[in-house]
Amino acid sequence: MRIFIMPPNSLILYDLVERFGHEPLSLMKALRERVTSNEIEAPPLNITPEDVKMGLKYAAIEVPSGIRGRMVVYGPLIDQADAAIFMEDAPYSFGCVGCQRTNELAKLLVRKRKVPILSLDYPSNEEEAKDMVYKVKEFLEGLK
Amino acid sequence: MDSEIETRLIFIAPTSDLTPDRIARFIHNLGNEVTVKETCYGVVVEGPKEAVRQTLGEVRKLDPNRIFSKVRAFPVGDVRRCRAHHGSRPGFAQLEKEWKDLCLVEQGLICVEEGERPPTPKKRGRLPIKELRKIVDEVSQ
Repeated sequence: MRIFIMPPNSLILYDLVERFGHEPLSLMKALRERVTSNEIEAPPLNITPEDVKMGLKYAAIEVPSGIRGRMVVYGPLIDQADAAIFMEDAPYSFGCVGCQRTNELAKLLVRKRKVPILSLDYPSNEEEAKDMVYKVKEFLEGLK
Repeated sequence: MDSEIETRLIFIAPTSDLTPDRIARFIHNLGNEVTVKETCYGVVVEGPKEAVRQTLGEVRKLDPNRIFSKVRAFPVGDVRRCRAHHGSRPGFAQLEKEWKDLCLVEQGLICVEEGERPPTPKKRGRLPIKELRKIVDEVSQ
């Protein structure tokens, strides 16, 4: 099954989902096409006029362009998802997951699709990590 | 670029005895049609999807619970990202944070492997006002 992960570039979630026999829907895969295409000069910083139109499917016109731009990449992943795992308390100030509003919107769109969702926190100690891995395993095995 | 080509990051957890150099040499010895680049956290592997998956499988056997992996969007040595070409690496802080947490995840994987049911962890509470006041006093002194 295809699992949408949040943060969408998470190493931990990508690895765990793959390890337990499912296909993670990640940002890296979605960006691969863009960064290897000759049409975009400095991806993923640039977006095409087509992207702007596509973004309207997921975010209204008055939504800031940064959110709409990100939703162009996240949106199709959400559409494909059979289930989702959210990891809260991410270091949001880092990299391309730096937009909290996009993350909120993406989570809302996943919830609207009524697919099974597992919400977790980033582990801060051994006990929490054990619980997190156990829950991920149970959740993914339950989907089969 | 060919869509059948995959780039993968292979991470070594901080608790592992393996080194990026050892993994790079190991991959070279496998003789698969992949490009390997050593990094500070492990290696980057690029090649046909099947060859990359097979390589990952073999590498994982070296230390199953301490080898982690994810795909990467940018190809190996891409001038927009490669530090040798002064490329930017905006996602590295995220990778670094998660890399540090891998030793915790490893404990989780061992626990699951042994079929153990972990105890429910304590709920994270809010910082008590007394503690906050203590921190403020320490900083303002």
